[in-house]
Amino acid sequence: MSESHETFDHGSSAEQAAHHGHAGIAKYIVVFLALCVLTAMSFWTSNQLPIPWPFPHQPAVARTFMMAVSCTKAMLVILFFMHVKYEANWKYVLTIPAAMMSIFLMLMLIPDVGMRMRNPGGGPPGVAQEQVQRLGSQSLDNQIQAAAKARSGE
Amino acid sequence: MAVVEHHETIEHGHAADGDGIHHHGHLTLEYQPGLPMGNSKLIVWLFLSTEIMFFAGLIGTYIVLRFGSPVWPKTHWVHLVEWIGAMNTFVLICSSVTVVLSLEAARKNDAGAAKGWLFLTLILGGVFLGVKMYEYSAKFSHGIYPAVPHSRIYERPDIYYASAVRARLNEPEVQNELKRLRGLRPDQLDPDKKVAEKMAAGLTEIDNVSKAVQDPTIGPVPLALDVAQKIYPLEDEESAATATEHPEGLNELFPWLKLPMVIPGGNIWAGTYFLLTGFHALHVLIGLIVFAIMIFTLRLGAERAYVIENIGLYWHFVDLVWIFLFPLLYLF
Repeated sequence: MSESHETFDHGSSAEQAAHHGHAGIAKYIVVFLALCVLTAMSFWTSNQLPIPWPFPHQPAVARTFMMAVSCTKAMLVILFFMHVKYEANWKYVLTIPAAMMSIFLMLMLIPDVGMRMRNPGGGPPGVAQEQVQRLGSQSLDNQIQAAAKARSGE
Repeated sequence: MAVVEHHETIEHGHAADGDGIHHHGHLTLEYQPGLPMGNSKLIVWLFLSTEIMFFAGLIGTYIVLRFGSPVWPKTHWVHLVEWIGAMNTFVLICSSVTVVLSLEAARKNDAGAAKGWLFLTLILGGVFLGVKMYEYSAKFSHGIYPAVPHSRIYERPDIYYASAVRARLNEPEVQNELKRLRGLRPDQLDPDKKVAEKMAAGLTEIDNVSKAVQDPTIGPVPLALDVAQKIYPLEDEESAATATEHPEGLNELFPWLKLPMVIPGGNIWAGTYFLLTGFHALHVLIGLIVFAIMIFTLRLGAERAYVIENIGLYWHFVDLVWIFLFPLLYLF
């Protein structure tokens, strides 16, 4: 029973050993260091490092930057730690459908984001003006006021 | 298993045909697997595909709620510490490296080293969970839970909030403790004079809060907001940017007081935070159990390298999920 198993696994591991050989460990260390630096780069956006984050008032910049960093980190982990870079073409059979389904799932959620974000005045009911003014974001408050104005104008 | 059966079927076929197909003898049939890898690895990859969908759904929902909510709590409001999250990311990355090194050692048939690296992975995973527990307890101790009855989060300083504060203040437990503290001399409140002064001032504040919430006109938001700010103060945008810690309110000064508090967006934040980190922590825990079983029951030589490879794939995936959860939950 396990004979065929072992043949396979020995085969693939021998193949992989041939691919990276002794340079393997060094490569893992480089990937590890890259991941650490990238983590620090994400943390940089919280503006708690000695070097100030250059866009403290533009959260969209920080968020885009963080997601780009995360995708890079994910790619490093998948390609090197999960050995996908060295696998045969079967990897596409498994990863592409899963990736497509995930993207499809995200696309299905977009209407929800749009419905809730573009409807500030009619969002979850009862958010007190004073409270938003004092605690919430100023821009949100402006949006609510604009929405109220637009409504009374109609 | 499937491979062997296939082979046998083919050979049986030959035998049954007997002499009649002798001229076909040159034909050698060989089994070709659909995907060139062992069944176990295929199963792990298929499982990971479903896991991608699972976490994509959770993260997608989080994004909808995060950006659809009119107010989202600042990290200080909910005792979320960014650098602790960053450190935990680092710990998980280290544990991914140790799994890879364990696999390399096993492929070289160095069973001892493979076990050592796997043990280190187990420890690092334990550190991750320990830090997670510490973070959870920091939230629980402030009454931040995903749901009632433990959660003391109120979204708005309105009449419902004021009546919840009143109900808590009228509980015998609170009344008795207040009576006891009021009977003490200032130096008996706390040996440290500064702290004692603070506590004395705090007791006066509790009186003010008590009076305010008994007032039937508390309904208007500004009054209730004043109460809320005394119990659990929230910084505005500017001071939040420079503050390193949550400012102290009555709830921090008197931990037994446990008054309801106002954290705008706090409930949806707690719901998503505990759900996402909870499912991730569950995955970490399952990984650690498998590591422990492997360390204590298997010889991790070359013949078992594929086992380390398979659990490694799962572990890297768990790391991968955290790579996305960390910025989304701590820095967004």
